[in-house]
Amino acid sequence: MSAILTRDELAQALGRAGEGDRAAFRRVYEATSAKLLGVTLRILADRQLAEDVLQDTYLTVWRKAGSFDATRASPITWLVTIARNRAIDRLRSGAAMRKSTPIDETVTVIADDAPSPAQALETGDDVRRLNDCLGQLDDRTGGAIRTAFIEGVTYDALAVRENVPLGTMKSWIRRGLMRLRMCLES
Amino acid sequence: MTDPTDIGGMDEDLALAGELALRVLSPEDEAAARAREAADPAFAAHVEAWNERLGGLADGIVPVEPSPWVWPRVEAGLTPPVAANDNSIVFWRRWAIGSTGLLAASLAAVVMLLAQPEPAPVATPEPAPAVIRVATLTLESGAAAMTLAYDANTGELYLAPTTEMAGDTRVPHLWLVMPEGGVQLVGAIDGSTTSRHHLGQALSGPAGSANAVAVSMEAPGHTPAPNKPDGPVVAQGALQRL
Repeated sequence: MSAILTRDELAQALGRAGEGDRAAFRRVYEATSAKLLGVTLRILADRQLAEDVLQDTYLTVWRKAGSFDATRASPITWLVTIARNRAIDRLRSGAAMRKSTPIDETVTVIADDAPSPAQALETGDDVRRLNDCLGQLDDRTGGAIRTAFIEGVTYDALAVRENVPLGTMKSWIRRGLMRLRMCLES
Repeated sequence: MTDPTDIGGMDEDLALAGELALRVLSPEDEAAARAREAADPAFAAHVEAWNERLGGLADGIVPVEPSPWVWPRVEAGLTPPVAANDNSIVFWRRWAIGSTGLLAASLAAVVMLLAQPEPAPVATPEPAPAVIRVATLTLESGAAAMTLAYDANTGELYLAPTTEMAGDTRVPHLWLVMPEGGVQLVGAIDGSTTSRHHLGQALSGPAGSANAVAVSMEAPGHTPAPNKPDGPVVAQGALQRL
């Protein structure tokens, strides 16, 4: 079971890992590896690949922990970003083949606003606010942004899934992103 | 305006940064945006802000406990943190940043070319009498690109690349990174299979003080100056004494 660390504890452990503290790095791993495997697995849909990418992710985290700045980034978001980008790089390198899933199916799986146990890592307010702002977008736009994030798919794939022209999908997401930003910063 | 992606009054850079963070761009557009990110700190800050905004989307993802073998593998791959503060590495970073967009694009291209998922960790060969220096060169992605062992007594250099550089048409060149910050060319190497080289006394004298090694990718047929690579530096690693 994952150890529970608060945001501050995680930021502190990450800072120590950046100074070469392996025990602190281990605490980071124990507190976040299940979350990050969830992220890489949703993108790669293959456990072995996802764990392989997880391994790469933590090696990167170890090397980059010294550059983590708690005043600018939430520690879990910083980690998720690395894991997600690594998984997407692997997905697009052609090493992973996956079947396409209809967008609606995805949304029903992930559009659950119930707090998850890992939420202790995130500031609950930030997530609630993000969900509120996403909820203000029309369903297909909010759904497309969620799917893009969670599955790591491009405009092309999203347009095919939703059966809309590429330009339409780009327009939905670009407008959606800008509205999201405005909402988050209001 | 009939372009459906045109949004009146919207900050184009902000939108592009959001698209890059969300990873929805086509490979070509993404490579261009990554190059921009590497060269333009203001744009990079936009991308970072988007990562921070969107990160909460992962909150809905169900956590999955990793297999017990993952941590031991991570732990086995931890390099001493001293490498992170090493002046020579700082030199390489600075050099890399100087090459800006071109390098970022090349790195992206290399990463895209790397199809093999599992860089098998390669053990150093026989229990030779005096293998005294070893290094694991890693790519920017953290993946191991090559293991190297050098015996200063015999001048024997042993190279064991992983599959990470396979398929690249450019020629990898090995460099020594000196403690004071310069680099010294060792020579072209084979990135596709293990190889042995006899360097004789090439690494004696000042070259013996090198504390890291790096690999640049050079155009076929091109030999760079002995003190400066022309192609992008794709991998590096600290040289360690056994």
